[in-house]
Amino acid sequence: MTVVELTQSLNIAAPELALAVGSMVLLMIGVFAPKDSANSTVTGLAVALLIGVLGWMVFFDEQGTAFGGAFVQDAFAYFFKILTLVGSIVALVMSVGFAREEKFDRFEFPILIILATLGMMLMISATSLLSLYMALELQSLALYVIAAINRDSARSTEAGLKYFVLGALSSGMMLYGISLVYGFTGHVGFTEIAAALTGQERSVGLLFGLAFLLTGLAFKISAVPFHMWTPDVYEGAPTPVTAFFAAAPKMAAMAMLVRVVTDAFGTVTGDWQQIIIFISIASMALGAVAAIGQNNIKRLMAYSSIGHMGYALVGLAAGTVAGVQGVLVYMAIYLAMTLGTFAFILAMRRKDEGNVESINDLAGYAQNNPLQATVLTILMFSLAGIPPLAGFWGKWYVFLAAVEAGLYPLAIIGVVASVVGAFYYLRIIKIMWFDEPESKFVSAAGELRLVMGLSGIFVVGFIVFGGPIAAYAENAAKALF
Amino acid sequence: MLLTGLGAAFFYLFAFVAIASAVMVISARNPVHSVLYLILTFFNAAALFILTGAEFLGMILLVVYIGAVAVLFLFVVMMLDVDFASMKRGALDYAPIGAMVGIVLASELLIVLGAQFIGVGQPGSVASPTPDPLTRTNTAALGDIIYTDYIFFFQIAGMVLLVAMIGAIVLTLRPTRPGVKRQNMGKQVARKVEDSIDVVDVETGKGL
Amino acid sequence: MYHAIVFLPLLGAIVAGFGGRAIGAKASEYITSGFMVIAAILSWVAFLTVAMAHDDHSATVQVMRWIQVGSLDVNWAFRIDTLTAVMLVVVNTVSTLVHIYSIGYMHHDPHRPRFFAYLSLFTFAMLMLVTSDNLVQMFFGWEGVGLASYLLIGFWYKKPSANSAAMKAFIVNRVGDFGFALGIFGVFVLFGSVNFDTIFANAATYLPAEGAEASTDTVLTFLGYSLDKSHALTVVCLLLFMGAMGKSAQFLLHTWLPDAMEGPTPVSALIHAATMVTAGVFLVARMSPIFELSQTALTVVVIIGATTAFFAATVGLVQNDIKRVIAYSTCSQLGYMFVALGIGAYGAAVFHLFTHAFFKALLFLGAGSVIHAVSDEQDMRRMGGLRKLIPTTYWMMIIGTVALTGVGIPGTLIGTAGFFSKDAIIESAFVAQNSAAGYAFVMLVVAALFTSFYSWRLIFMTFHGKPRATADVMHHVHDSPPVMLVPLFILAVGAILAGVVFHGYFFGHHYDEFWKGALFTLPDNNIVDEFHNVPFLVKWSATIVMLLGLLGAWYMYIRSPQTPASLAAQHNGLYKFLLNKWYFDELYDFLFVRPAKRLGSFLWKRGDGWLIDGFGPNNIAARVSGLAQRAVKVQTGFLYHYAFAMLIGVAALVTWIMLGGIH
Repeated sequence: MTVVELTQSLNIAAPELALAVGSMVLLMIGVFAPKDSANSTVTGLAVALLIGVLGWMVFFDEQGTAFGGAFVQDAFAYFFKILTLVGSIVALVMSVGFAREEKFDRFEFPILIILATLGMMLMISATSLLSLYMALELQSLALYVIAAINRDSARSTEAGLKYFVLGALSSGMMLYGISLVYGFTGHVGFTEIAAALTGQERSVGLLFGLAFLLTGLAFKISAVPFHMWTPDVYEGAPTPVTAFFAAAPKMAAMAMLVRVVTDAFGTVTGDWQQIIIFISIASMALGAVAAIGQNNIKRLMAYSSIGHMGYALVGLAAGTVAGVQGVLVYMAIYLAMTLGTFAFILAMRRKDEGNVESINDLAGYAQNNPLQATVLTILMFSLAGIPPLAGFWGKWYVFLAAVEAGLYPLAIIGVVASVVGAFYYLRIIKIMWFDEPESKFVSAAGELRLVMGLSGIFVVGFIVFGGPIAAYAENAAKALF
Repeated sequence: MLLTGLGAAFFYLFAFVAIASAVMVISARNPVHSVLYLILTFFNAAALFILTGAEFLGMILLVVYIGAVAVLFLFVVMMLDVDFASMKRGALDYAPIGAMVGIVLASELLIVLGAQFIGVGQPGSVASPTPDPLTRTNTAALGDIIYTDYIFFFQIAGMVLLVAMIGAIVLTLRPTRPGVKRQNMGKQVARKVEDSIDVVDVETGKGL
Repeated sequence: MYHAIVFLPLLGAIVAGFGGRAIGAKASEYITSGFMVIAAILSWVAFLTVAMAHDDHSATVQVMRWIQVGSLDVNWAFRIDTLTAVMLVVVNTVSTLVHIYSIGYMHHDPHRPRFFAYLSLFTFAMLMLVTSDNLVQMFFGWEGVGLASYLLIGFWYKKPSANSAAMKAFIVNRVGDFGFALGIFGVFVLFGSVNFDTIFANAATYLPAEGAEASTDTVLTFLGYSLDKSHALTVVCLLLFMGAMGKSAQFLLHTWLPDAMEGPTPVSALIHAATMVTAGVFLVARMSPIFELSQTALTVVVIIGATTAFFAATVGLVQNDIKRVIAYSTCSQLGYMFVALGIGAYGAAVFHLFTHAFFKALLFLGAGSVIHAVSDEQDMRRMGGLRKLIPTTYWMMIIGTVALTGVGIPGTLIGTAGFFSKDAIIESAFVAQNSAAGYAFVMLVVAALFTSFYSWRLIFMTFHGKPRATADVMHHVHDSPPVMLVPLFILAVGAILAGVVFHGYFFGHHYDEFWKGALFTLPDNNIVDEFHNVPFLVKWSATIVMLLGLLGAWYMYIRSPQTPASLAAQHNGLYKFLLNKWYFDELYDFLFVRPAKRLGSFLWKRGDGWLIDGFGPNNIAARVSGLAQRAVKVQTGFLYHYAFAMLIGVAALVTWIMLGGIH
């Protein structure tokens, strides 16, 4: 690699570089800042850094391939990186109030968020199995630590440990898959793998490797049957961490999955399609059914996110530009809805009890705070996929793509699952509006109200400005084909 | 490049011992034995590396994994008073299902490998073939590419280690815990002979 | 001016209905009543300029565009001609008086703003109906009055009987309205328009001229029958008449009217005596240009009208509830009007409508005054001897009765309102050429006898004889306040003088210059001129039977009060038959209500509950919740379970992809 190539590569990867260097600078600031203000200083700077990177990405559209084909910055990567950054920023902002109230003031938290975000951005851009794995581990390791960051809480520690062990298992399986793919194609770069697959007849061993590879990826998006960690980790981790888990890593993992199957294995669509269909159906069904039995709202959101990943995979199963476009639109909408919902979960706070997490604690929310209850109701309707809210359009895009690709059974199962799944969203609405009121929540912090408001506007207004988003997503999807 | 003759014999030997000791790692009753079997596995893996001409990796494996990680493991296992047997008991209830899954996977793997050419050798196509050890040593050859073509992966690996370090500190460091003795380098360096050593002329036959 | 007439009541209804809470009951009463007074005065002005003037002041006042779809072009417009002017006067006058009367009658009720809002809303809807320029607008008003009627009958919604009466009125009217709606569709098919001008213009030339070859082309298919032009016209007329039957409580669809007496008495006076129930008469009169073309339809109208007149009068003979007697009387009088319509004496029909509004409203409001006096008692058997205690009301009721029974001297100008209008109908029936006219004549004369009998029976039972109420009630008997009596005086003036003043205009020498073509009759129909030339006995027949009825009532309720009981005992079957209103309610209950309920309950319990819910939503929901329980159980929290699940998952995936990949 010549110096010119390296300079070019660094130029293309400038946002990631900024995050990497920034994280280390912040680490130094955190270590040497006064103890009592370290967390707030570092959090503020971290948000500023992430916003700066986001702004950089929006304003300087530097595209291209870097590091000898291991890294790519294309429209697809841009789309998902922006989503990821938004998810990280919002999750970090939402943690401020929580950190203040719950004595959760560790300056390493924002730094780990930045490092995890860096890992995610590298995942999104990875075009080689090697960089993919490295980025994945960078992200995962940061997430394991974040999950357990409240080390004095048994639940948080347990969540971190479970996530770590199962994550290691999935990483192992994925690595095994990667080694098989490398063994049977002789390459780790996506383009080279794709080229190798066009020439020769694909071997059974490659399929074997593909299955293991997809297993690791499915674990990261918590698709059934690799979802088991999700409810426990969501419940055990501190709520801002859960919000982060539900938002940003899902974007990155989905982006990685989409890129791997369409880029590297685009020529053997039929082979991975059946796996995607299987985990899509399983995720939709489990997400719809299992959430019904939940009383903890964070667990419920865990199953909700499992279900939503299933719906997004419907689009991927189509294997077409329209399908990938559907995935992109769906993930964007999912991000907005999830962050909004978690803003409400963080706002579920009583004076004497602190943060509460039971669904029944929402009883009478409508009487105590009609405006917020209305926004939450809108979000729930959107999550349930009721027109004309954003959630409906997300499903619309993916199901339409599936139907166009001839996957009628998949689309029908998806529609049935979303009908069943509507039950528990509606149950929340019912509890909010019709149950006997419990004592009031303390008034939500300003940043939470901002997130609620923005997410409500997005969900309601998607019908208006959804067109440009869909067009952008289509442009991004075309970058893969 | 196929291994033949003596090389092949050693390959099979090391490979067999590696697998066998790996099985023992999970089946040994005494956790200390498990760790010892793990060390044996590492040894054989290192031998396999050397057999393929990757002496540097083999030696690193010896130094890092066996010399540091596995020995640390050994200490931890010895110091912790954990009844591993009772922990394993629950898991063994699921042994039939586990065995079934294992058999299914293994048989499928056999099908995969059976359909392929069975043999020992290097992949047919590699990005950077190992140069002849006579012209350029293995370590130097690794250095040629790891800081150039693979700088990206090298840097990410560095980030991963950074995260691991931060994580370890975040999860375990308790600056306020009482009774922890810490190294104070300033104090250490500032120490003078006069402060620490008191030369006393003791007469024989008398105590202090 | 016409805008003010129509929209002032609506404005009043909106103010009282939505602002009643804010402005209070008193203000609501005064605002609605004030608006009604203005509207009533304007209506009389309109009546004088349109109907009484020599020049033709008929006009169509455009309000706004409404529906324009394909060839359907409906505008919201007022059609102002003599017929509308007469109806405006009737509706607004009676409505105004009822508003004022209600201020006194309802002063104990806590929901007065709502009541007055409903009254004004009703008035608005009725005005929409009578001013309509097309059938669709008329249907709007038609349904509007139906709604207001429903609301007012059920005004005391805490009374179950009031609720069921309100529903009954609404549902029975639905039958008629269904026919009316079909009739409107039919008119649109036949004439290509729902605007009266177009319909009437086309109707004149619709049927081929006398002697010309009648076309047998199918123009309408109804219930599987292909109908040529003349039959189609008959069917359409009958469908429209079905609507009229429902609204005007004609025989077979009359059952709701007596029950509607559950509403407050002013409502009965306004809606169920003077205005809404005459909507059917108005409809037929308005559609006279097409009814005239179908002899069959007219004959049906005559038969139904005559039967209703007779039937309702017989039932009225034995009823004991003071309001129900008057209600059956209303029903009977509406029968007279339909007979008049059917035989082509449209003027007589509208004239009777006009006079009837005065004296029947007078009777109802008088009855309300009586009920008010005896502490809300409605059963005449617990009244009696009230003459001395409430003399004003007594005399008002006497005037109403005299007007209803038609007291007067034939051949002179001495007579009450009912004398002129009713006798005109009876005499017209005698001379009419309709094939059912003979039947109608006999029925109407007998009905007149009964009318006289039950009217005087009401007077005698209520005001004469010994008091049958408890001493406590008698102690509290008092005449009504002026706010209730003044409307009675005004109506009494109308009841006495309306006949003598207007008979020449409505159905006499000034017929043509009064109506100015608002009512259409075929050229060979000259009943207006002929009905005077009837035999002496016919001319006196109504008066004679009236006197007979008076005598009979006097004998049975003053002279020997035990006679009714013995008569009832002797003819027990007949008595029961009449008392139970010819068993119509029971018959309908058996024929329609119970089968419908059974079908409904079958569909509900078996069809919906068992089949659809049982196998559909409920079953799926139960399965889903079972699955949810299992899914929750799988989530044990043990790490090695989770790891196992992953391994099983990966094994499954690998197996599947390999099986899929081998092909």
